[in-house]
This record gives sequence, structure tokens and C-alpha cells, in this order.
Amino acid sequence: MTEFDLIVPSTPDEAVAVLHAHPPEEVAVLAGGTDLLFDLDGGRLRARHVVSLRRLPWRTLDWNGATLTIGSTLPLRAIENDPDVRARLPGLYTAVRAVGSVALRHRATLGGNLGRASPASDLVPMLLALDAEVELVGPSGERTVPVDRFVEASRKTALRPSELIRAVRIPEARPSAYLWQRVRPFHDISHMAVAVAFSPAGARWRVAVAGFPPRPILVPAAEAALGPAHPSDPDLERAAESIVREAPIVADRRASEEYRRRLVRPLLTRAVRACGEELR
Amino acid sequence: MTGPLRPDLAEKLAGAAGYGVDLDVPGMLWGALVLAPVAHGRLTGVDLAPARALPGVVAIGAEDLPRLLPGREGDRERPAFPTDTIVYRNQPVAAVAAPTLARAREAARAVTVHVEPLPAVVDVESRFPDWPGPEAAGRPEIAAHVRARHGDVEAAFRDAGTVVREIYRTASVHPVALEPHACVADVEGDRWHVRTSTQSPFGVREDVASILGLPESSIVVEGTWVGGGFGGKGASFVEPWALLLAKAAGRPVRLALTYREEFLLGRTTLPAVVRMETAVRDGRITARRVRLLLDVGTSLPGRDFTTGYSIGFLLGPYRTPVFEVEGYAVRTNKPPFGPHRAPFAPQCAFMVESHLEHVAREAGLDPLAFKADHLWQEGDTTPLGQPVLPFGLRTAFEAARGLAAEWRRSAPPGHGIGVGVGFWSTSTGAGGEARVTLTPEGIRIDQAERDIGSGSVLVGLAAVAERRSHLPRERIRVAYADTAHAPYDAGVFGSRTVGALGRAVDEALVEILGRLGARLAARGPVTLGVEDGEVVVRADGGSRPLRALVTPEEERAGGLTASGKHYGRSGVIDEHRVLDGTFYAYTDFTGAAHVAEVAVDRDTGSVRVVRYAAFHDVGTVIDPFTARAQVEGGVGMGIGTALTEEAIWSPEGRLVNPGLLDYRIPTLGEVPPIDVTFVEGFRGAGPFGAKGLGEPPIIPVPATIASAVRDAVGAHVTELPLNPERVTRALSRTNGTEQGP
Repeated sequence: MTEFDLIVPSTPDEAVAVLHAHPPEEVAVLAGGTDLLFDLDGGRLRARHVVSLRRLPWRTLDWNGATLTIGSTLPLRAIENDPDVRARLPGLYTAVRAVGSVALRHRATLGGNLGRASPASDLVPMLLALDAEVELVGPSGERTVPVDRFVEASRKTALRPSELIRAVRIPEARPSAYLWQRVRPFHDISHMAVAVAFSPAGARWRVAVAGFPPRPILVPAAEAALGPAHPSDPDLERAAESIVREAPIVADRRASEEYRRRLVRPLLTRAVRACGEELR
Repeated sequence: MTGPLRPDLAEKLAGAAGYGVDLDVPGMLWGALVLAPVAHGRLTGVDLAPARALPGVVAIGAEDLPRLLPGREGDRERPAFPTDTIVYRNQPVAAVAAPTLARAREAARAVTVHVEPLPAVVDVESRFPDWPGPEAAGRPEIAAHVRARHGDVEAAFRDAGTVVREIYRTASVHPVALEPHACVADVEGDRWHVRTSTQSPFGVREDVASILGLPESSIVVEGTWVGGGFGGKGASFVEPWALLLAKAAGRPVRLALTYREEFLLGRTTLPAVVRMETAVRDGRITARRVRLLLDVGTSLPGRDFTTGYSIGFLLGPYRTPVFEVEGYAVRTNKPPFGPHRAPFAPQCAFMVESHLEHVAREAGLDPLAFKADHLWQEGDTTPLGQPVLPFGLRTAFEAARGLAAEWRRSAPPGHGIGVGVGFWSTSTGAGGEARVTLTPEGIRIDQAERDIGSGSVLVGLAAVAERRSHLPRERIRVAYADTAHAPYDAGVFGSRTVGALGRAVDEALVEILGRLGARLAARGPVTLGVEDGEVVVRADGGSRPLRALVTPEEERAGGLTASGKHYGRSGVIDEHRVLDGTFYAYTDFTGAAHVAEVAVDRDTGSVRVVRYAAFHDVGTVIDPFTARAQVEGGVGMGIGTALTEEAIWSPEGRLVNPGLLDYRIPTLGEVPPIDVTFVEGFRGAGPFGAKGLGEPPIIPVPATIASAVRDAVGAHVTELPLNPERVTRALSRTNGTEQGP
């Protein structure tokens, strides 16, 4: 690890100003640090200034009717401990619990997970299926970007220079499920994952697949194949086929392409059936 | 059992125990290594000037050795730094030391290494696609060739009712001790001193002397607390570089590997390919043929022990009247092969157990009955012609078989029950000495080893002394000293600590008790006890204070002292059966039978171990708590070898997964409750008939889990580890035609 200054701003305005005052390549933003510190320690990231968000008032979780807004620096553990999240967004609850260990989730944050944009994120696919939006603050004010446009590629986001993630907004409670496959069930990275959610307002399914580079993606063809709330077995079969056909699944050191494609059908089937139990 | 469970517990739980990585002495510099950028290449230059230009940095390479070691010549086959050829990626080519760790790493990065890359040999199968022929034995890339044979192999295969031929492949596994290799070296005049985290202080002394060309008498090695060894700390590693840096700097130097370096440079059990052929007639094995290609990385020719030792394990502890075995240790551009708890034996057990189960099924026989019919018992002869000594494996196996039948009755669909065996012989042949001193306060045992975490030194040696003397455990202290002061011992490896060093302790104590018995003219056994806070000597129903029996000379010398030595025993094999290379006889015959229940997800290939039981032939249990802990730890480690652990090498010789993120050891989430049962009465070579228990617990685990997976879903997996992808591939092959019960 190379040496750096740790800067701890007290307000969002101050944080944005600090970022604005340094060249972007010299600054790293620290939320929980569970991913960032590996890169700093391993020398893959050479930040001269690390800006900690720990004093900002963003460790929040607010339900407004069916809409949930989660502050970007809230530890993941607080999300899984919220009884309403577990009851109304079961897929998010499962996805959060898929991240690392309990100890790690006491530090890791939703904002950090989005900002770091790991292709192996367990949270991004679920946020995609929930049509979540990212609230950003920056030198030129605030804006809101859908997660699908926010996460652009592996380790690449739509964040502009000096912009910060303030919160993530999930528009409605949805029957939802997250299914993953790993070599080791605990403390491992998912090498294939399927997130599904049923939107009562839109009366439609959302399906995201993940676990391979460059990033988790929505598969509209699968959503269309699932049709109305209770898909038949042939509907499920068509949906799985469309993912196998359309998703840009590739091999890496964690799994072969063939194995990943093979996992689509069982993971999708189980995920949709898990939602089906809630739809009843 | 009278003392605390572990005398080191309080210190370790409080974080007060000083491990090798915790060493921090005044004025010391921090060391770092410069690593080669290719797996194979001609080294044309190492430019240390940019490192030396940094403030406070000392940098050394091969060209500095004559200056640092005037008139000395180290082992040419394993120089501290290479002079002309790089043989594995990340081979250390230079070392630096600096006032801070950050500066040391910066200095290491600043060094330029000039290499002309050469083609690398990485995969043994692509090196020998048609298997090495007889002419290969003399080639430089063959580090060892072994061949043995007995009986008319061709006739047995010709006349067989069933012949089964299979190929197995196993992966590279790493010891993954929590603490990396770490030491602090200091050189004053001719005294080369190193404090290090090691399984063998005397082994480090011998290695350092050989590598640097120094006499052993000028080297002093002192062990620190060891944060896990698992075989990886059995020989020297970072110590020669740290000593050279300390010599160059004139100050103490700390050198510790990073965790990434542990993987990149670490000595590991490397991949292997095995061809197995078995002939069966009328329900009996009539002949077996086994051929092994073992990747030994850059191990030195003539120094590979594993091939000759493990090939016996590939025949298994089964009656085999006629056989032919041949093994090649193939050199590749990887780090040297290194031990990993029972080096390569868990892989051998996986292959032989899976194969014989397959053979039985192909021959229409019940696999467990088939194995039981062939298991060695005392009085049998091994394939290499060695008589089998007392051996409780058959007893352990029948107990495991009974439990498996019980578990099978309650197993839900998708679950499977497996039984596997493993056998082992402990390294009691490696020598050990200890000095025992008896005073009115109690017993002190002086010896060279630090406990590596298993308790075999601190608990095991004290338990031996307690059992012999009857003195309560809290009156027995196990002390250690550096190699300048302690009696010689080979090291804490090979399941030998209690067996060999414990035997030395016992012999010393027997001598002391014998002396006391003579003074009392005792007719029966002499034991010790405590009365009124003082050690007393008991014999023939009476007791006398020790104080009253000690001579003035003994009192001046600090107590009654005796030294014990144990240089082991070894069996004899029939050399007529050996055609080439070195095979080894067994000292003890020890083994275990395990039972696993697994749940297998047919769609994803995921395997979960639901419950586990282990039956171990240990001769005699010396300390029940420590013995049980060894089995639990070994099974947990074996679950990693079975299901998740695999070091992956790219075709260019680059380790793809040098870290705990993608090299997956089991967590507590993957280790189920483990029932442990000891089979006693089949006496071994250790004190009170004890057999070693460091390595045996890991040996049957991959075999047992593979058997359970096959039972659950019919997947016959012939490669380790049985990760989800391999299980689904095996399921596709069998196409669901084989069903569990």
C-alpha cells in the first residue's frame, strides 16, 4: 500500500468540494472499504487522497409507502435486519445476505457496492430487477440515474468527476428472489446468479442475470416469455432458453461458459417459483 | 487429564503469543523479495542500482554472495539466488531491506530483472502425451523414476473375469497456514542467528548451512510460535535470504512473505495423473497395474521422496498378489513440490478408493464387502513384501460400514452415504532426542520444538510423561531452546512428534524412575505423585519425598536428569520386487475409515457434507482432547481438498488464483459436525503403543466424499476437487443412468 491522506468531510457539500479540488485519478472514495482496500493494498489503485464518507448523514433507510430509499453509506447488515425489507423485498434480503460474511456486511455498503461496480456484485442484479435508481450529488447539483444506466461495465459507472452516490431508491415492494451458484456456499463469489422480481404496478416480470463479466444485465426477452404473474412450465422453459440464447455469458477462471449456461434453467426456475409462492 | 486443556491457550487467546510475523526488534530493517517475471528464461542481468539509490535501502543479488560469504560455497543445485536460469515464475532473484516495509516494497519494484524468456513446461500431460517410455528415465526433466513388480502380471490380466482401466487426475493444493513464512535474522561475526516460524529448527539449520555453505555450528535457529504449518514450514524458506540481508546490512532484518507470495512462491502438492488397471477373478483382485505421472515442479533430481513413497498408497491397504507399479516425477517450471499434510496421500486414497469401488460395481460385487475382503490385517504381506504389523484398519472399516448402513436408512432423497479408507505410516524413523529433569517441583522436558498449533508438543509430550510417571499434568513443563542449546530433533512433521519425540521423553523418564527404584530397592513399578506440595516417589505401596532420594550431586545439577533418544525402527521390503528407484518400508501401519453423508444438487452440482464420522486406528490414545482435535481439523482440511481447493496454473506457468478469494479453503459453514471414534489395541511404535495422528485424519476424506457423491446421484468423478462444475460434467457422462439406492 502506498501512503495517502485520509480526508473526512462533515457535509455532502464539503465532500463534493474536496473531490472537486483534486484530480480524479488521485482520489478514492471510501464508504465501507471492504473492496476498495484490497485494491489500495494490492497497489492496483494508487490514490494519494482517500475521502471517507463516514460522517455524512447517509446511513439511512426510509420507507415512503411502497418506495424504499437506502442511504449510500448504510451498512448492508442494517438492510437485512430491517423486517420490512425481508417481508416486502425478499430478493433484496437474499442478495444482501449473499455478500461476504456478517462481519463484512457490518462495514460494506450499498453505495460502495454500486460505486465499485464489480462484475461479480450480488446486489446489482437484484437492483436491476427492482428497477432501482441511483441518486447522485455533484458540483452541478443532483440527478437520478437508473441502475441499468449507472453500471456501465466492469469497474465502470456513470459517475461524473466529483460526483457521489447519495442514495438508492427502489420504487415499489415486489415479490422477488435471488438465486446464486458458487464453488463454496459461504464467503465466495457467485459465478452465476439470477435475480427476478414481479412488478405489481406494471404487471410484468423483471429478470437479471449476473456472475460473469462485464456486468449484470436485464434480459427483456426472458421477461416477455414469463408473461403474466404465473408462468407455466413452457413459459419458464422459453424464458430460460432466451437467456441462454441472448445473454453474453462467457468463461473466466471461476467457471466455464458451458457450465454457466447450464445453470440458467435451474436458477431461473427456482427463482420464479420462489416468487410464485409470494404471489399466492 | 489433570491440567488445563492447552497450556498455550491463555497466551494465544489474549493475543500475547509472539508468532514469527509479530517479530519486531529494535533497529531492524524490513525485507522484501524481487521475483522473476517469467516461468522459464535466461537471466541476463539484475540491476539493483535503482533500489540502492533509495534512502536506507540494502539490496543483494547473486553477485553479492562471494562478498557476503567469502570462501564459502553453497549447494550449487539450490543457490540462494539464480545466476543464469529462471526456472519458475516468481523465483526470488534478489532481496532488499529498508527502514520501512513500504520502502522495501518500493525498492523491490525498482529492481530491473533482465530475462530472455524460454518455453516453459507447465503441464505434465502435454509434456508426455504418450506417457514417458523407458528412455525417459534418464532425461533431465525426470526427477525420479520408480518401478516395482511382482508375479506374472500379463497372465493375471489375460485370465481375469473383469478388467477395469481408468485415468484419474488430481489438483495442486496449498497448505494455507494462517501465518505466512516469517523470520528475523541477525548476524554478528560468525554467528548467524535466525528466529523463525518453523516446524523444524534443526531442519532449517541444516538447510541454511547447505544453501549458504556455512558450518552448522555457526548457525543458531530459534523457533517462534507457529501460526500453522501443515507441512509448509518443514524446511527452510525465507531464512537464507533474511540472513544474507542481515549480513549485508549489519542489522537485524525481518523477512515475511505476503499472503500473495505464500501462494506464488509456496511449495505445494502439485497435479498428478494416474492410470489404474485392475484384474478381478471370482470376486478377488488378481492383479493391479498403476502408473503415476507426478508434477514435482522444480524439485531437484534425486531428491524427490514423494513418488517412491506414494506409489504404495496407490495400491492401497489391500491384498494384491500380483502387481506392477511405475512412477515418474516430472520437473516443470513451477515452484518445487512441497508437503501438504500427508503429502499426496489423500489424493492417492481418493484414486484407489474410487477405482476399487468402480471395479467392484463393474464386476457386479458389493463395493464395501469387496474392500473388506481385501483389507490388510496383521500377518498379511504388502505388495512390496513387507509383513503387516498390528493394524486396526479392518476393525475401523467394519465400524464405519455398520454406521453407513444405519445412516443410509435415514438419508432423504438426494443424499448419499460414502465410506472411504486411508492408510499411513508415521515418520518415526526421523530422529528425536529430549532431556528430562526431575526436581521436587516437578518434571521439565527440554527439547527443540515449538508447538505448531496441534498440541503435539505442549500437550502430547506432557501427556506421555504424565502417563509414565503418574505425576499430575500441571507439574510437567515442556520447555524449548534454540538449536545451540536443545537436544536434536528432526521436526514437527510426519505424524512423528508423539511417536518419536514422545518416545525419547518416555525413555528418559523410564531411566530416571529406574534409578529411583534402585535406590528404593523397589520390587514393583515406580511412579510419582504430589504430597504436601512436593513430588514424592511411590513404589510397593509406600511413598518417599523425592528430596530425600536426591544425591548432593544431583541437587547441585538442578535435579535428576536423563536424556532419551529415539531413532525409530523401520520395516524391510523385498528388494527383489524393486526394478528401479527407491521405495520405502513402513514403520507403523495406521489408518482410518470415514463415513460421510452428503446432499448433492443434481442441477448445479453443489455438494454439501451433512454429517461425518471418523474411525481411527491410533494404537493408544495419549491425550483424548488433542487427538479428537487433530481428527476434526484434518477432516475439515480434507473437505477443502475434496471439494474446493485447487491452485490453477496458466499454460505460461502463472498461478491464476494466488489468494484466498479464488483459492477456496473450507469455512466453518462447510464443515459439519464430526463424530470421532478411536480404535485402540493395535500397537504402534510410539510410547505406550501410540501411532501418529497428524496426517491420517485428512487422508480418507476426498475418497469418502467422492463415494458419497456417487451414492447420492451416481456421479463417478475421477478428478479432484469435486467442485460443482466437475460433478455436473460427471452427471452428464453417466446421463443419470446410475441411481443411488
